[in-house]
Amino acid sequence: MAHIPDGFLSAPVLATTTVASAGALALAAHRSRQQLRDRQAPLLGAATAFVFAAQMFNFPLGAGTSAHLLGGVLVAAVAGPWVGMLVLFSVILVQALLFQDGGVTAIGANTLNMAVVGAGVGYLLYRWLRLLLGEGLRRRVLAASLAAYVSAALVGTSVAVELALSGTVPLRPALLAVGGSHLLVGLGEALLTGGILGMAARLRPELIEGAPVTRRARRWAFGGLGVALVVAVGAAYGASTRPDALASAAGSLGLAAHSGTWRPLAQYSGAGPWGALLGVGVVFVLAWALFRVSAGRRPA
Amino acid sequence: MSFRHLDRYAGVPSPVTRLAPSARVLATVVLALAAALLPLGAWPQMAGLTLVVLGIAVAARMPVRVLAVRLAPPLVFVLLVSAALPVLVPGTTVAHIGPLSLSDAGLLRFGSVLGRALPALAAAVVLVSTLRFTELVQALRDLRLPRAVTTALGLAYRYLYILTDEVEQLQRAARSRNAGAGAASRRRLLMGIAAASLGRSFARSERVHQAMLARGYRDGIPALRPQPMDRRSLSALAIVCAVALGIAWTAHL
Repeated sequence: MAHIPDGFLSAPVLATTTVASAGALALAAHRSRQQLRDRQAPLLGAATAFVFAAQMFNFPLGAGTSAHLLGGVLVAAVAGPWVGMLVLFSVILVQALLFQDGGVTAIGANTLNMAVVGAGVGYLLYRWLRLLLGEGLRRRVLAASLAAYVSAALVGTSVAVELALSGTVPLRPALLAVGGSHLLVGLGEALLTGGILGMAARLRPELIEGAPVTRRARRWAFGGLGVALVVAVGAAYGASTRPDALASAAGSLGLAAHSGTWRPLAQYSGAGPWGALLGVGVVFVLAWALFRVSAGRRPA
Repeated sequence: MSFRHLDRYAGVPSPVTRLAPSARVLATVVLALAAALLPLGAWPQMAGLTLVVLGIAVAARMPVRVLAVRLAPPLVFVLLVSAALPVLVPGTTVAHIGPLSLSDAGLLRFGSVLGRALPALAAAVVLVSTLRFTELVQALRDLRLPRAVTTALGLAYRYLYILTDEVEQLQRAARSRNAGAGAASRRRLLMGIAAASLGRSFARSERVHQAMLARGYRDGIPALRPQPMDRRSLSALAIVCAVALGIAWTAHL
């Protein structure tokens, strides 16, 4: 449930998320106007209509399941992050007001999750992965696909955190239910984003041109990868030695009601830094192999 | 493909449709906000807000049956999403269903989520039933949403019908070729259609841009029928705000 309905979030969470997304949208409107000038209106209209139409498709994913496209990373990869954020906001707005899909008061929270995190952060991931993976159509498609997966997982996480901060569901079950389901949703999203982008780029290669990959930018990207790995290992280690870190942080935010029952990552305690490193590494290699295989099978 | 069924009561002359669209959108947001501000277990206030929305629906000459039918799908969705709450939220166990134990805190949250969602959803249903899409875009523009968003929505509404027609053509062509049997090839086919419509919509946006420039487009699209906030709309909005926020306030006494 990426679209949070009315009634699930508390007033402080609603206010904070609304203010945050309003700021992000104002920035997006300003920047896209600077970039596109009088091309902005028709481009935004076309992209919004496309996302609407694309969300109506039900793609069969095998094993009796199907998924629809969320489209944040796809639009951001084609038209840039600012257009992506504005388009997703328009879609969320219409879905809330016209189809009661997602609450009217939760528009701010849903925008933060799907437009700012889903499209904006998703685009950052896409840019970063493009620098890591290098030039070429297949690599770009792979970058978009991976970014779509991580962005879906991030959307799930932020929904779970918002539900927990509102006191609706404690953090751990929320993360398991919403975050976990988005790990599955992300698979569909990655497949669809990669597939559609690959086919569209073969029809119109100029769609995913973007800025050229320079050696300097690549060096920065790999530096960022190193920092991210260190932070991930450090966080996993920190969580395993002090399993109450998250709970005490939540307690200091005034959420003492549930903090006693929270033990996030407690099952990792005793693993030590090497266990954490191993875990992070295994997940990374698995994801890498999975997407290499799925990208390699696609006929060029 | 059209949204005609949505705004069926927009053309019905009523005290509600006479108000400025921006006032109606604001009133809906205020009602939803008042519902969101209710604390857990504020049952009388939840019922009160629902009654206010029902009153507005009656004033808009909207049959209660239509309201109920339109409310059902989103309400069922909320019901499904919140069904896990009595099990997930820790608290004193009050009942068992098979291996699952329902907690009192969870049931309280389940009921409160439904009680807050009902008036908010009903207000949104009444809004869209009595408001044309163009009026909605106009209202959002009057409410100072970014120009980019309102213009995009206005244009997207035009493009959407063209785009769905194109998609239907592509699907009909695929059906007549017996393409897309089996999940994998059907997925490929649908992705191809989606990719084709992505390419086409961006190509169209460029053509439209050229055409707009040729017709002297500078910046912004003017409204054909501006409906500014008049005194009647303002006072109606003030009354709804006072009632809704008053009800929410009594819950916090």
